[in-house]
Amino acid sequence: MIDVRDLRFAYPDGRLALDGLTLHVTAGESVGLIGPNGAGKTTLFLCLCGVLPVKASAIDIAGLDPSDPRQRKELPRHVGVVFQDSDDQLFCSTVGEDVAFGPLNLKLPDDEVRRRVTEALGRVGMSGQEERVPLHLSGGEKRRAAIAGVLAMHPEILLLDEPSMFLDPRGRRELIGLINALPGTKLIASHDLALVRDTCSRVILMDAGRVVTEGKVELLRDAELMEGHGLEAV
Amino acid sequence: MSVNPEYRETRDSWLARRDPRWRLAAFAIAILGVAILRQPGPAAAALGVALAVTAVGQIPGRWYRARLGVLLLALLPFLIVVPFTVESGNRLWEWRFLHITDQGLWAALALAMKTVALVTLALTLLATAPLHVTLHAAARLGVPRLLVHLTLLTYRYTFVLLDELNRLRIAVRVRGFRNTMSGHAYRTVGQVTGTLLARGADRAERVAHAMRCRGFDGCFRSTTVVRTAPADVLMFALTVGIVGGLVAWDFSG
Repeated sequence: MIDVRDLRFAYPDGRLALDGLTLHVTAGESVGLIGPNGAGKTTLFLCLCGVLPVKASAIDIAGLDPSDPRQRKELPRHVGVVFQDSDDQLFCSTVGEDVAFGPLNLKLPDDEVRRRVTEALGRVGMSGQEERVPLHLSGGEKRRAAIAGVLAMHPEILLLDEPSMFLDPRGRRELIGLINALPGTKLIASHDLALVRDTCSRVILMDAGRVVTEGKVELLRDAELMEGHGLEAV
Repeated sequence: MSVNPEYRETRDSWLARRDPRWRLAAFAIAILGVAILRQPGPAAAALGVALAVTAVGQIPGRWYRARLGVLLLALLPFLIVVPFTVESGNRLWEWRFLHITDQGLWAALALAMKTVALVTLALTLLATAPLHVTLHAAARLGVPRLLVHLTLLTYRYTFVLLDELNRLRIAVRVRGFRNTMSGHAYRTVGQVTGTLLARGADRAERVAHAMRCRGFDGCFRSTTVVRTAPADVLMFALTVGIVGGLVAWDFSG
């Protein structure tokens, strides 16, 4: 489902963010991507969804190559990204407009768009809140609305970047329940190792743009390994 | 100085239930019509009609008065100067090169009533529908969609940026900063402004990423459904009739 082979990416200032990264995620898996700040997690997500340029054949995601402009256009149908800061993702004036943004871009009929908006908001526990303005939502509600905006596009793969950031303990608990209820393949980048433990079956540890190791969630208990890479074992 | 962003909900009213396209067209005509009035009589009538419209639209009194107060404060210098600038008419008061004429007083009065009427109409338009509904209506009436959506994004992120500004203000205050007239204060304000601009640019980039990830192809689409009812046409016809009457009265007088 997600195949990354020897992926390199450097920002225009010369900083190497991904340095020969290789990973594989199979269909239906829920994988935690962990690592310290600057490990390259967000950059990897931006490469996977076609926002940052990558070399040909370095990525195969849902059978598509983001380096190919035609296939890149198809990516939003298959890959949904939930960004760190929900305010970046909730750019429309109301929750309903925002959730409809993706389906409208897929040029679906109006009835189907409305059905998907209702369904997506229902799945995140925000039924009937189409008219609310994003400014008035709590951190947890913003996160759920952002996830609804992605779910409305019916992606096969979900990339969640620091999903528990800015959430209080209750919002975090609700989010864990929501992530576990989501279908499809999930790649969750987070510093919140407890969230990764509760939502993922496998973890990939990244540092300095490379995969350090990967394995079952029990890896998160390895205090020496975690502390060696700026994390705390759980 | 405190920055207190306000995002107001729309009240239900007869005016709020009208098709936003017809409402926007009617208000645009009314605003243009009032703007070209010159005589105090038609201006007074226009102000009366505008105030009646606020009642029909159930505009919150406190919200309206607060904005009108700011406007009147800004208008005051002009109102004071105008009576001294009109040469025609009878001189009511004179001192060296300064004089006030009755025509000048009437002109100031007309200006005041016209401006209050214009702002009242604009505030009523803003208060009777969420901004995105009015802007989508504008797009359907032929206003370029790019302009409409840039306005919507600006409006949406104004509140987020104000929030960031508030956080920056608190951050400098808790470290002892006081806004005085000193080089240090000016430098700090400059740094805060620069930080805000840099964060705004960063956010703009992230928003663009989020839009691309959801299939944005440069064309904004909306789910807003609008339907014309007989009452919409009636409202528009009434507006055209009243504004036409006021303009005819003004130009015939």
